Amino acid sequence: MLPEFELLMPRTLPEALEMLAGRAPDGMPIAGGTNVIPDLRGGRYRPACLVNVAGLPELSGIRQEDGMLVIGGGVTVAEVLEDPLVARYAPVLREAARSLASPLVRNRATVAGNLANASPAADMAPPLLVLDAEVELASREGTRRVPLKDFFLGVRRTVRQPHELITAIRVPLPPATARARFFKVALRKADAIAVVNGAVRVDLGDSGFCQTARIALGAVAPTPIRAYEAERALEGHPLTPETIAQAARLAAEATRTIDDIRGSAAYRRHVTEVLVRRALEGLWSRE
Amino acid sequence: MANFKVVGKPIRRFDALSKAVGATVFADDFKMPGMLHGKVLRSPYPSARIVRIDPSRARALPGVVCVLTAADIGYAKMVADIPGQTGQRERRGSETPVLAWDRVRYKGEAVALVAAETEEIAERALDLIDVEYEPLPGVFDPLEAMKPGAPVVFEPDNIVARWRIRKGDIEAGFAAADLIIENTYRVPFVEHAYMEPESGVAWVDERGVINIRVSTQVMEHFRTVARTIGVPQNRVRIQGAFAGGGFGGKEDITVEVFLALLALHTRRPVRLAYTREESILAHSKRHPYIMRYRTGVKRNGRITALQAELIADSGAYPYLSPYVSLYSTVMATGPYRIDNVWVDTVAVATNNPFTSAFRGFGGPQPCFAYERQMDEIARALGLDPLEVRRINYLRTGDTTATGQVVHSAVLLEESARRALEALGERTPDRGPIRVGRGFASYFQSYGRLMWLHDTSQAWVGLELDGTVVIRCGAPDPGGGQLSSLCQIASEVLGVPLENVVAYTPDTALTPLAGTTTATRQLYMSGNAVLQAATAIRKTLLERASRYFEEDPDDLDLADGRVFVKNDPDRSMPLADLVRICAAEGLPLSHLAMFKAPFRDPIDPETGQGDVFPDFTFGTFAVEVAVDTETGQVEVLKSVACHDVGRAINPAAVIGQIQGGSHQGLGYALMENLIVENGEIKTPSLSEYLIPTSVDYPTTQVILLESGTGVGPFGAKGIGEPALTPVAPAVANAVVDAIGVPINELPITPERVLRALR
Repeated sequence: MLPEFELLMPRTLPEALEMLAGRAPDGMPIAGGTNVIPDLRGGRYRPACLVNVAGLPELSGIRQEDGMLVIGGGVTVAEVLEDPLVARYAPVLREAARSLASPLVRNRATVAGNLANASPAADMAPPLLVLDAEVELASREGTRRVPLKDFFLGVRRTVRQPHELITAIRVPLPPATARARFFKVALRKADAIAVVNGAVRVDLGDSGFCQTARIALGAVAPTPIRAYEAERALEGHPLTPETIAQAARLAAEATRTIDDIRGSAAYRRHVTEVLVRRALEGLWSRE
Repeated sequence: MANFKVVGKPIRRFDALSKAVGATVFADDFKMPGMLHGKVLRSPYPSARIVRIDPSRARALPGVVCVLTAADIGYAKMVADIPGQTGQRERRGSETPVLAWDRVRYKGEAVALVAAETEEIAERALDLIDVEYEPLPGVFDPLEAMKPGAPVVFEPDNIVARWRIRKGDIEAGFAAADLIIENTYRVPFVEHAYMEPESGVAWVDERGVINIRVSTQVMEHFRTVARTIGVPQNRVRIQGAFAGGGFGGKEDITVEVFLALLALHTRRPVRLAYTREESILAHSKRHPYIMRYRTGVKRNGRITALQAELIADSGAYPYLSPYVSLYSTVMATGPYRIDNVWVDTVAVATNNPFTSAFRGFGGPQPCFAYERQMDEIARALGLDPLEVRRINYLRTGDTTATGQVVHSAVLLEESARRALEALGERTPDRGPIRVGRGFASYFQSYGRLMWLHDTSQAWVGLELDGTVVIRCGAPDPGGGQLSSLCQIASEVLGVPLENVVAYTPDTALTPLAGTTTATRQLYMSGNAVLQAATAIRKTLLERASRYFEEDPDDLDLADGRVFVKNDPDRSMPLADLVRICAAEGLPLSHLAMFKAPFRDPIDPETGQGDVFPDFTFGTFAVEVAVDTETGQVEVLKSVACHDVGRAINPAAVIGQIQGGSHQGLGYALMENLIVENGEIKTPSLSEYLIPTSVDYPTTQVILLESGTGVGPFGAKGIGEPALTPVAPAVANAVVDAIGVPINELPITPERVLRALR
């Protein structure tokens, strides 16, 4: 059952950062609570206090700013699904949002929380990784930006310090010539943790050669990962069945899979290759 | 009664709206002044000796009112034998400790109880009960548990039950075969995952009666509670509530004895409600089976012999395993005419979670085997799967493997034809996506084993304004049992449906109607209500015949009036007739008892004898798309066609069938309670997946109504049968798509890929 805890209710961001600093390392920011509350109830940790950051005005909204798509730290997954800027510039994030948990959870869960929780299977991570997103971390001392690829340290571990709060996720607006896809295999169609998830993004420019390639994978390593070797196999090359097959193979090799109740390591590796290949094939084909 | 006015109409159940808007008061919604909160301490080991239990630190915690260990309750044991009956013989060895004292046999077994002022304190108290365990070697596989020298979970040899069928000459049957098909099938543990975890409130009233308001399928557990805690049976009252699902998981006692003990020891009301995780840990599961099938067939597909060996994992205690394994034995052949049958079934104790009743009660497991087997026969002979079944299907008047004659209609061929037709045009393959089709037919009993001498009672009464009250102790776990009883009374008494009220069961208020299990409640209590209402109808029409000076047969009741059939203008309001009867002292209520046929047990050596009152027959057909690169299976279309005898409320029947179909699709493709060394690796609904509303398209339902069942108006039972044929149909469809056999559930993506390699 849910243990007793102290709940702090800041009204502004500075107040929240003050509280987090004052209570570090035991203060835990909470927004949607879709991870924090089950963890509390399951006894996985017992913080001295929760700092409720849901509804802080500074964390709200999705906006376009200096060539960036800025997703506020309090934005829910449901808001991402509805947002026209996301639909226009980052449809891959929308695809991932649609597959995350269920409508009830999406109404509460935040994008920032999905990253902060650092589950290897976080559905928001692969699309944001292929979009070269940055995580904006604020504290009483100031603000820093960390590329998402450097944000995760391990299972449920990130570079976020206990007194820091994710105030935004910043995504560079991708060029119009880039396309991206999200993929996920899970044991049911909704409300299911991924067996494997991931995203690919390729910018063919005007040349027909890959100028940028990004491949990100989830649930196949202790953190969401980029498959750098696979990306390099594409960059500078056209997308052909051969280069795609090669990239898919390298993506599978980039995994460090384990056996768990959702799938074996071997299955995860196999399916990674299939899904990366299909995602790349699907970028410029009509389905 | 040829033209029904209420029966057969898809009416809105009286309980539907209140459930939809959240107004229904479930067991856990009930609060009492001064109520304490109970908690259960459970074993962290699947097999261990208890060296010492010391509750003193917990007792000293402020706010703790009571801590009970086995020593405080006289080392009480509970008889876990089949509940609720009068004619039963008790099985030896069926008792389980209420609280363990010397040994724990599964992870999650109850060791101590706490009652405290708040739930938080009760939970903290659990941590303060010092229990010293000495882990013992356990056995986690029924095959291992049968070997000499295996750890003994159930004295003397872990064998909980054995059943056999010996019919005809098995050797001759195989000798006559052109081909023998042999396969081994496996099915997993399955969790009921009802929406409402086990919960209840108990208190001792001013008469000294222990009241237990609880979510249950079995009101008659008051007897078990009384016996277990050592009070007379009239000192325990069970009040039912609408249950948020049961599926067999609330057939065994869950929280009742714990509640009674805590209420008795504290003399205060006590609430006990399991969390989802505790529910998964604490209650029964569907039996995993290993099933070895050997079938001899002629070249034309006619079966000459069937030999089956069924091995069920009973888990740590017997509970209903002996009966579940008996059902499997009786239904092991499937709905086929086979002259030479040899079945050996064994239920074996292990240190796994205990297994017991689950929708189908041992029917779905062998259905997976015998219907996969039928398709394997068809594949081997190059015949159409429907043709192989058609020439073997049972027909009315045939005998089952136990020698029981089937008297009701057997619409198997029609159900299969209709279901397959309804699948419509075949979806084409697309690249690595292969489409397959499969179906499965089944037979499943409704009503209990006839040697249990099953009965149900219902009281029906007319009030002076012409409205009706039904008192019938039938638990309603969501199937619409009570609503159907109202429809039957409404039909017989000609009273508008909205003028009929049925109470939820209460052993102090409603006559005992037996369990809501075994697909028996419509059959048994429906007949009891029919009898009671018919008796009142007779009284009314006899009195009216004097008034109208017409023969009672020429009168009828409808829409709250009594009238002359061929001159309906000659009529009077029912309320007027009721007042006349009341003034003259004519009985306006009736208590009826319906008795199922009573038989003796089957011959233990040959399994021959009559076992069930009747059977339901039908077919499930499905089209799937298999992704041969990822192994994922997508259900494209499914059709369920069952002969329900008579659909009292077609809307409710279709709901039951659609629910059962999707539960069956989950069994086929998704649900898998993973148990390793006695530990459940899927301890919550985050790991244990059940289908959501978007996983499978709605199952199309085709109702056949032969009118030949033994229920009211010729109804058969459909609650459990709805699930039985689904998993083998899906497996057959997957095999059709990929061309290689799959003989194990659930059909996970990995399993499909392994089969393809």
